[in-house]
Amino acid sequence: MTDFDHTAIDELLQSRARLAIVAFLAGADEADFSAVRDATKMTDGNASVHLRKLEDAGYVAMRKQFVGRKPQTLYALTETGRKALLDYVAHLEILIQPAAKGERP
Amino acid sequence: MTDARDDIAFIRQTVEEGRNFAFGRSPDILVWGIALAIGFFANYAAIMHPFGFSIGWIWLVTLALPWLFTMRRTVFRKPGTPLRPGVHAMAAVWIGAGIFLTTLTIAADWSDAFREGWMNSVVAGAFGFCFFASAALLKLGWMRVVAVGWWLGEIALFAIRHRPEACLLSSVLMLVLLAGPGLYILLRGARTAP
Repeated sequence: MTDFDHTAIDELLQSRARLAIVAFLAGADEADFSAVRDATKMTDGNASVHLRKLEDAGYVAMRKQFVGRKPQTLYALTETGRKALLDYVAHLEILIQPAAKGERP
Repeated sequence: MTDARDDIAFIRQTVEEGRNFAFGRSPDILVWGIALAIGFFANYAAIMHPFGFSIGWIWLVTLALPWLFTMRRTVFRKPGTPLRPGVHAMAAVWIGAGIFLTTLTIAADWSDAFREGWMNSVVAGAFGFCFFASAALLKLGWMRVVAVGWWLGEIALFAIRHRPEACLLSSVLMLVLLAGPGLYILLRGARTAP
């Protein structure tokens, strides 16, 4: 057995959809709503619900701007969000380590 | 256990898509690749079948147009939208290399040093450096392969520096190793961006 703490895993990132948004923004720096929606293959409704949850948790920052007369909503990962993603990956790696050594977690 | 591995692979793939999106918003590399390929091919054609006018004019156009294209971002950037650090570092590497190559081209043309044949090799080496730095900044492994391609091209260009085929090889390298990656990242960016 390992001392792996299941409760330490970030529940917000256990959803594949939210994990995909956070991971995409980690690479993209900043992206508009439709880019996030297309990259994560979600519908408008799903994407906005998950983005709102991430925004409420302080993982994602949103800003609005106008391109010509067209409004554009831009999203970027915050430092909190980046740290949450790195912590999540670190937890997954801890989970993998015993398997690599042939142990049972 | 497999789930954790799958999750990590999924995260890596999605982060890479994000990086490609960030980099792929810019068609500058494609424009520079095509312009320089035209310039080098015109140079080769001028050596093989002289036009009757200076090749310098073609170089002026093939350098000035991509510079204007690159500078549009600075001219038209909205106030209050500073570049993020990663994008800023990338821009510094590429614009720095662009200034280096442009000033060296002008100096070499002015002092008639082109006939010594080392310029094509220097250009290839500089692009190898740019792709190597970009690979490190964006953590995109395939760009290292492009950098190695440029450095192999640099050696080949040096080996044939006194032959007109050096310009032809430079033109091919610009299309394959500059416009090619530019088109690739633009298409990948287009797949993730609207």
